[in-house]
Amino acid sequence: MIRELAPLDLYYLVLAVRWTVALTLLALAGGSIIGVFVAAGGAAHHALPRLLARSYVGLVQGIPLLAWLFIFYFGLSIVGYDLPPLIAATVGFSVYAGAFLGEIWRGALIAIPRTQWEAGTAIGLTYLEQLRHVIIPQAVRIAIPPTVGFLVQLIKNTSLAAVIGFVELTREGQMTTAATFQPFAVYLLVAALYFSLCYPLTRYSRILEGRRRVVR
Amino acid sequence: MSFVELKSVVKRYGTNTVLQDVDLSIEKGEIVAIIGRSGSGKSTLLRCINGLEPVQGGEVIVDGVAVHDPAANLRELRARVGIVFQSFNLFPHLTVERNITLGPTIVKGIAAKDAAVLAREALRKVGLEEKIHAYADELSGGQQQRVAIARSLAMSPHIMLFDEITSALDPELVGEVLLVLEAMARDGMTMLLVTHEMNFARRVAHRVVFMNQGKVWEQGPAQAFFADPKTDELKAFLNSVLH
Amino acid sequence: MSYTFQFRDVFAQRDAILDGLVVTLELSAVTITLGFVLGTLAAVVLVYGRPWARRIMRMYIEVIRNTPLIVQLFLIFFGLPGIGIRLDVMTASVLALTINLTAYTAEIVRAGFESVPKSQLEAGVSLGLTGPQIFRHVVLLPAIKAVYPSLTSQFVLLMLATSIVSQISAADLFHAGSIIQSRTFRDFEVYTVISLLYLSLTLLMRGGFSLLYHLLFRRP
Repeated sequence: MIRELAPLDLYYLVLAVRWTVALTLLALAGGSIIGVFVAAGGAAHHALPRLLARSYVGLVQGIPLLAWLFIFYFGLSIVGYDLPPLIAATVGFSVYAGAFLGEIWRGALIAIPRTQWEAGTAIGLTYLEQLRHVIIPQAVRIAIPPTVGFLVQLIKNTSLAAVIGFVELTREGQMTTAATFQPFAVYLLVAALYFSLCYPLTRYSRILEGRRRVVR
Repeated sequence: MSFVELKSVVKRYGTNTVLQDVDLSIEKGEIVAIIGRSGSGKSTLLRCINGLEPVQGGEVIVDGVAVHDPAANLRELRARVGIVFQSFNLFPHLTVERNITLGPTIVKGIAAKDAAVLAREALRKVGLEEKIHAYADELSGGQQQRVAIARSLAMSPHIMLFDEITSALDPELVGEVLLVLEAMARDGMTMLLVTHEMNFARRVAHRVVFMNQGKVWEQGPAQAFFADPKTDELKAFLNSVLH
Repeated sequence: MSYTFQFRDVFAQRDAILDGLVVTLELSAVTITLGFVLGTLAAVVLVYGRPWARRIMRMYIEVIRNTPLIVQLFLIFFGLPGIGIRLDVMTASVLALTINLTAYTAEIVRAGFESVPKSQLEAGVSLGLTGPQIFRHVVLLPAIKAVYPSLTSQFVLLMLATSIVSQISAADLFHAGSIIQSRTFRDFEVYTVISLLYLSLTLLMRGGFSLLYHLLFRRP
């Protein structure tokens, strides 16, 4: 039974945005935890952590995000659990985001001049202490604009969770299309909703970028 | 009519007036050095002559062309006005030869073979024939600057403008560039140099111009200019640079 | 509770995998070529065009870069028939991927154009070259060289993103996965194999672009 596209549908689409945002924040949280290790490892003085970090990034970035989602959705189910799409999606996005955030943050870490590290060593700090008290505070300022930019990527990436059945904005769009047979209008609305989330963040990250250059 | 005529030229950047009512004439075959402090407007003056900078008032007439006119077609004039910059500005992705033949082939429509001959000849004049197939980053600063001069020479200009061309060079590389300039002077080229090289100006230039606060403050024949400065500002300036 | 990995079953389906791989390669090659050319042209408009053209181009780029690819694909494949334009799976895929890549390429190449120092442009102007001549001889090559890493990374990302067309049943490498999955029920093994194939493609592409850089920009 086909029904007309009604304001109610727009309402449900907007409600679905909650799940897009929720998934984005979960991915950001998970990805940040992984990213910290990837960044610290990638900027380390020893070869082994650098190798591990680089391998992780190379592996994750060399495989489509869709594949990661499917691997976690199907793969973790072989351990016996029928994984709810939310968990599989969170794990998949976290693994993916961890690699990209790790690279961004590693870039911020190595942008700090060697002289800052040397100053820390000179007063007797260990590698971890140097990170915590000298390097990271400075690196955070450098890392914020590209991280905000990546947040936009994350929001767009959550659209793929629809493929493993998680009901966020895109999946809600698919279901609304199935009910109303108005794909053009529905997907246009869906796109507009994503745009309203992403574009302000894009502008904000540009402002941050510009501000940083002025400070320099 | 002089070869280059500047009449009451006014140039502003926003609210900052860089050139105030500048009058200057350059005759064909003259070698004129322009000296002054940074901010006195001397580089800007040079860049107004080939139209790189527009003027807000007055007239700039070069070889009969009204450069100050917004509607003027400067492309044709620029083939006759050579300019060499402080930072050489060679094209990094092209060989020395291609850097030099680019203008002649594209702007003057000269055939590639003939342009190559022109390039070789220009490089011979600056003493760098053997570097014809090198790239800019393989050359020293002095060599790059000489190639930049050759690039302008290959267009057979009627006048050469030099914008502090030795200021960015290591001291030991300055001499080779000045030698090239002296050779050009002997060949009778009309030259306008913005420079800090006072000894060179005294030896080679016919006339020296002192720019101060956006005006032509004092000018005169080279020898007398340095030996007997008339204004206090010029005296002070010469004292500070000729210790 | 144990589970034995059965890659043999997946291996038996290698024909399906190979067919899918070919489609992915074709899609990637066509889209990257089109995207690069159109993206460069778009960047020219973005940097050197008339104000109205620049505004339209900027809007196009912002819309594409701030909406998900899968939604763009659905809009083109499922949405356009609603207003009378019905495209087959392959055409819709190429169209969506190209429109997407062009926007990203335009931004990258724009940065390249703007990275060429003003002094280079002044040297060109002072020799008497026109705007288009300066673009062709002074700006273009150094710009591409400057943004080559970003550009090629974007191309690799696109190749990986082609997996999305599986969702409109295009017969690419990723879609081969769901076919084999339904035949063998070896979900995990299937997607592991396919993922490794994508990884190999990534490594090959990166290596290829690296080689290309040395051929184009390094001199003997």
